[in-house]
Amino acid sequence: MATVSFQQASRIYPKAERPAVDALDLEIADGEFLVLVGPSGCGKSTSLRMLAGLEEVDTGSIVIGDRDVTDSPPKERDIAMVFQNYALYPHMTVEENMGFALKLAGIGKDERATRVREAAKILDLEPYLARRPKALSGGQRQRVAMGRAIVRNPQVFLMDEPLSNLDAKLRVQTRTQIAALQRRLGTTTVYVTHDQVEAMTMGDRVAVLKDGVLQQCDTPGELYDRPANVFVAGFIGSPAMNLVTGDAVDGGVQVGSAVLPVPRDQLTRAAASNGKVTVGFRPEAVRLAGPGEGLPVRVDVVEQLGSDAFLYTSLADAPDDVLHSADLVVRTEPRSGVTTGQQLWLSTDRGAVHVFDAQTQQRVD
Amino acid sequence: MTIASGTVREAAIAAPPPAPAATSPARPRKRRQLTRNRWGYAYVAPFFLVFAAFSLYPFMYTAWVSLHETSLSNINGGTWVGLENYRDLLQSEFFWNAARNTLTIGILATVPQLCMALGLAHLLNYKLRGRTFFRTVMLMPYATSIAAATLVFSQLFGRDYGLINTALEAVGLQAIDWEAGTVSSQVAIAVIVTWRWTGYNALIYLAAMQSIPGELYEAAEIDGASKWKQFLHVTIPSLRPTILFTIVVSTIGAVQLFGEPLLFAGNGTTSGGASGQYQTLGLLMYQQGWSNFHIGQAATTAWAMFMIILVIVGVNAVIGRLRNRADR
Repeated sequence: MATVSFQQASRIYPKAERPAVDALDLEIADGEFLVLVGPSGCGKSTSLRMLAGLEEVDTGSIVIGDRDVTDSPPKERDIAMVFQNYALYPHMTVEENMGFALKLAGIGKDERATRVREAAKILDLEPYLARRPKALSGGQRQRVAMGRAIVRNPQVFLMDEPLSNLDAKLRVQTRTQIAALQRRLGTTTVYVTHDQVEAMTMGDRVAVLKDGVLQQCDTPGELYDRPANVFVAGFIGSPAMNLVTGDAVDGGVQVGSAVLPVPRDQLTRAAASNGKVTVGFRPEAVRLAGPGEGLPVRVDVVEQLGSDAFLYTSLADAPDDVLHSADLVVRTEPRSGVTTGQQLWLSTDRGAVHVFDAQTQQRVD
Repeated sequence: MTIASGTVREAAIAAPPPAPAATSPARPRKRRQLTRNRWGYAYVAPFFLVFAAFSLYPFMYTAWVSLHETSLSNINGGTWVGLENYRDLLQSEFFWNAARNTLTIGILATVPQLCMALGLAHLLNYKLRGRTFFRTVMLMPYATSIAAATLVFSQLFGRDYGLINTALEAVGLQAIDWEAGTVSSQVAIAVIVTWRWTGYNALIYLAAMQSIPGELYEAAEIDGASKWKQFLHVTIPSLRPTILFTIVVSTIGAVQLFGEPLLFAGNGTTSGGASGQYQTLGLLMYQQGWSNFHIGQAATTAWAMFMIILVIVGVNAVIGRLRNRADR
């Protein structure tokens, strides 16, 4: 078990226009479950592979524990990795797959068998030890890949989208199992996913990346409540946060014909660069107001989920102007009686509005 | 087989009434499908007609000839001798000499050839500058005619002015009379065969290697496997079916080895050296049929070669099947 730290670590692929990972600074505590999340091509997998030693570090350094491993080969890093496609050795049985690293490390047959059996017990794999990967289901293969990592008892677990090949139901189930297992073993874990729900539910902390640059690294709650910039605000949360950009006017931000109230000092600072302000509010922070109050919108789609309903609306007084029409999502009670095409007025909860500088995209408090 | 019948039985126990009902309409449907697919037979017919005319008929005809004592000029006539040709063959010291030579040349050629092919394929699998060039070059010996290549090699292995002997003498070793010795002549022929087929096999291995997912190597690397261990524990097991295939193909080629030893002496009329030191089964057959005009004997030898190949391929298939069963 160990801490992990990225220190200004960059990876620049030959002939690439910009670095795949750009001066990443990240401190991961001992025993922490850190999730790297971001859209495809954001550099999250590259960061993980740099930590694994499968990808070169062009500048900066990576430290595991108190050892600088920047130039060490993977086998000297004491890490174990779970791959997206599991990468199980097809010609080896489950037992051989899980024990392969131990065998290479020169660990005796008896101890190997004991350790494999222990891991198999944790993962419910005991009945399958003699099988080969092709005779296993997707979920079982995933568990073997986990088992292969556990058996080694490494300092750090690296997981590269380990759930993306499972069906939706199994994914949710395995998600909680992995999180529980990690808490139990207490091994520092770095987990890569593109799924923000996975990130939010599993991670002690979540690092959001975009275009190779770290946007924010914080606890799931903080990410949700205080996103550092417009990208994080839009990326975390499902459905996404409503984001509207408008001119700063007296008392708030002009959205269509209405004014969205924003506290004065926040407004002044956010509008400092070009007079425009981006405001964000989550679907659950929106209330239906009386006629004539707040933002007038037209309901386009009503999504019934049973426990609640989502209204997908567009600004009523900017019908055809693509640039200014913003889709606003509203959460309501499941049986509110709102129908498609209806006109509504929305108001936002005071204090639930996130304010961003429209130029720099940064949060303004 | 056992698994399949087991599940059928279980299904029948679980649901007795529908099981027979399901099988009885299936049979007529199958027959109807066969007649409906008449055009399918028409489409595959051209191949089978050519196959029948140029493979199956000569094959059966050879079997017929092998049961007669007859000569090349009187191929349809001759006297029926039954299996006597086969008995003679099995008692002939020439046959056993040729069989032994075929086996030793086969081993001398196939083993280094496949090992080198594996190594070359591994090297070519790395990102090399100009690897397309190297890959093309590798296939060139295969594209060269046996006659041309063998003539060049017989010059190289020449006793008096051969390049190899010149080189041996240059480093202070004794010149070798390659053609006269048993081991030396067989080694020389094996070298020609190896030269010709290594690239071909390397390309087959390379194609198979490229279908091995890169993640497996990364996983092995993280598990702490060196490059050599990765080759041993990831590459070789993944190539197993391909290796089996190349062994079968090379073995068939080795049993039928003919052109290289025929042309090795340089004049193209040898029957395998002065004392038959490199007479292969192919050369023996040629000698029987076309030098001694005993075409019946030659046909017998041809069939014996076929049987040998059949046994080797059969053994390979059994090994493959056993391994597959062990895998399950």
